[in-house]
Amino acid sequence: MNLEASTQQLSYIANQASDARVNIELETEGMTLNLGPQHPATHGTLRIIVRLDGEQVVSAEPVMGYMHRGYEKLTEVRTYPQVTTLVNRIDWLGSFANEVPFILAAERLMEVEAPPRAQWIRTALFELSRIANVVLFLGDMAVQLGATTPVFYAFRDREFVLNQIESVTGGRFHPNFDRIGGIKDDLPKGWIQETKDVLSRIHSFCDEMEDLVVGNEIFQTRTRGIGIIPADTGLAYGLSGANIRSSGVDWDLRRDGGVGLIHDQLDWKVWTHPDGDSFARYWVRLQEVRESCKMVSQILDGIPSGPIMAKVPRIIKVPPGEAYVETENPLGIMGYYIISKGDLVPYRVKIRSASFNNVSITPWVLKGVYVPDVISILASLYFILGDIDR
Amino acid sequence: MSSPDTKAEEIVEDPIESQEELIIDETRNAFVTSIATDLGSDFIDSHVVPEIDVWIRVTQEAWLETAKILFEKHEMSFFNFLSAIDWMPSPFGREMDAAIDNLDDEVSVETEMEWGITGGEKRFQLLARVHNPVTNLGVNVKADLEGDFPEVETWTPVYPGANWHEREVMEMFGISFKNHPNMVNLYLPTEFEGHPLRKDFPLLSRRAKPWPGIVDVELMPGEDDDDTEESGEET
Amino acid sequence: MGLVENGKLPGPLTKLLNISRKYSLWVYQWGLACCAIEMGAAFASPRYDVMRLGVIPFPASPRQADLVVISGTVTDKMAPAVRRLYEQMPEPKYVISMGSCANCGGPYWDSYSVTKGVDQIIPVDVYVPGCPPRPEALLEGIVLLQERIASEDMTDRWNRDPIVVT
Repeated sequence: MNLEASTQQLSYIANQASDARVNIELETEGMTLNLGPQHPATHGTLRIIVRLDGEQVVSAEPVMGYMHRGYEKLTEVRTYPQVTTLVNRIDWLGSFANEVPFILAAERLMEVEAPPRAQWIRTALFELSRIANVVLFLGDMAVQLGATTPVFYAFRDREFVLNQIESVTGGRFHPNFDRIGGIKDDLPKGWIQETKDVLSRIHSFCDEMEDLVVGNEIFQTRTRGIGIIPADTGLAYGLSGANIRSSGVDWDLRRDGGVGLIHDQLDWKVWTHPDGDSFARYWVRLQEVRESCKMVSQILDGIPSGPIMAKVPRIIKVPPGEAYVETENPLGIMGYYIISKGDLVPYRVKIRSASFNNVSITPWVLKGVYVPDVISILASLYFILGDIDR
Repeated sequence: MSSPDTKAEEIVEDPIESQEELIIDETRNAFVTSIATDLGSDFIDSHVVPEIDVWIRVTQEAWLETAKILFEKHEMSFFNFLSAIDWMPSPFGREMDAAIDNLDDEVSVETEMEWGITGGEKRFQLLARVHNPVTNLGVNVKADLEGDFPEVETWTPVYPGANWHEREVMEMFGISFKNHPNMVNLYLPTEFEGHPLRKDFPLLSRRAKPWPGIVDVELMPGEDDDDTEESGEET
Repeated sequence: MGLVENGKLPGPLTKLLNISRKYSLWVYQWGLACCAIEMGAAFASPRYDVMRLGVIPFPASPRQADLVVISGTVTDKMAPAVRRLYEQMPEPKYVISMGSCANCGGPYWDSYSVTKGVDQIIPVDVYVPGCPPRPEALLEGIVLLQERIASEDMTDRWNRDPIVVT
């Protein structure tokens, strides 16, 4: 061994020893922080066990099941029309959107197709429930970062959308309105004009949020460059919806999937953002609300006349077979894999809910961030507990 | 926006239902041929619904290999879901339904196992779905599993998102995954007994307090009283 | 201390105390399921605005709260946490069971993982039915609870039947 190499080695060892000494003196001790299951910052009953080193997260492990209601088992003892009542309550902010993929899957198995008017109204309600859902996110995310005003605005303007949904379906929250082969009722009189007024309100709400939140310096500092998810990682974890579009993946089932709904006949745009951080996720959702408003107003102008129900038997028995239908729901891709054996009840229903996959990335994305960013990242991933736990 | 009339015409022309036999889906057929060549004898069956969906069935041993091929060769980078199916007919039959819900007696209670698309041989079948977001091609993968408490290779090295799905399958079906990083219950408390999504798991509340049947049915608009033969005269 | 619970205070003083409790109900800020959003609409939206009734939805800790709204499905895994939350609240404390799930299990009456009724684990003062109840229904539940508090006799507190909003 020559002299130079051994000097290098010695200095390396000396460095290591001094580092170790500093570490012992400062003594950073690991700490376990338990967020939830009843914590105001975790919307609902998600519990996250975070191991900290100082202010930095070493590992984060979500604990779920506090809202697990056993959907997949319960669908095996409910008839097809009864299942729609249940699945309303998976993503409780955009209830109507939950029914649509289930009904479409059942329709595919039964080989019926809803008449055009029903499809248009379905799409209108689908997009309205997206607005009702995401508007609350736009306010709620700001609350998580310490600004209380936007959530009041969100609740104020969301009420108008709920009113419109209620006046068609009779249900403020859980419409249970979609039927195999069509929809339950036609639009009430004067609804189209009222909805147009509501849409202009939502437009001005979006502008307000753009000024109040997106343009806010504190908001930008706390979200830009925080919680970056690269596209390939996001895809491998099954992230969908606005979460993956804000990582630059240009993929939207409303445009690319095209089953049963009439999005392909409308003029709209899929928004993406190259950054993949918390800010991008907020920004993409904000644009999507605007696009939804655009879509609904086009639908209102162009609803065709005609019947709203196809011919379906009174007692719905779905022929044997398997079908998987997914749609682009407010939270991301939601799909139902139905296995039927020709009975009144489905043999098995696999529910692919968006938030479950979206949240499964948290152990990866929370590694190494600071504690306050945990909250902003969780808020920007936007999950709903019922959609995770089912 | 075009006028309502043209809209209606466009939908009438929609060919998917009427010409189902005539459509040949070249993309999906090519995909099936390619993966069948790669897997060789581990590839068992496939099913293509033109323009809609494709199913393949592989052996239990080739489960992880299939994921690698799908991910690397076919660029199915989007992990959709992973679950399982219990094909054993429920030993309870319709016992846990109310008598009034068994409208037609000719629905015989199955005792033999019957499999769905791409067939099957064993009681438990894995079911997973992955997707290619660029070509928008999704594939359902199935695999038969040996035994009552089967064990199979985990997909987590290829698709990290499979982690939670496999934990869910473990607690719901009792199927465990080799080399999984954290094989503990996801939803249920640790002391929970049984595997709820197995067909022989009873819903005890239905035993204690049976479903009352369809009672106090409200008439739909435009319906007459004598039209409701199925609405249950139990009250 | 203890005088209030024993009912040994003079009548007018009890009345004064009751009125002040009636109009300063602190509600624990905590949601469970779908009903939590309707509770949020009742508490946070300008249209319903619960604060005009003297209900303050600020506390983020059960130790500061007088009232908790069980807003949604209670699962068997969650039940111990709900119980613990209730035990952390200082007396006198009130519970509103909001929605069918908390009342009796609701649409999940036959599920393997849902507690069929929160009254199995904690005593309930007001039942608000609905799936989910409208914000107005929750407000009525709160008003009825306030009426009861106004005329409450501490010694008789646990002997009364729960209120059911109809």
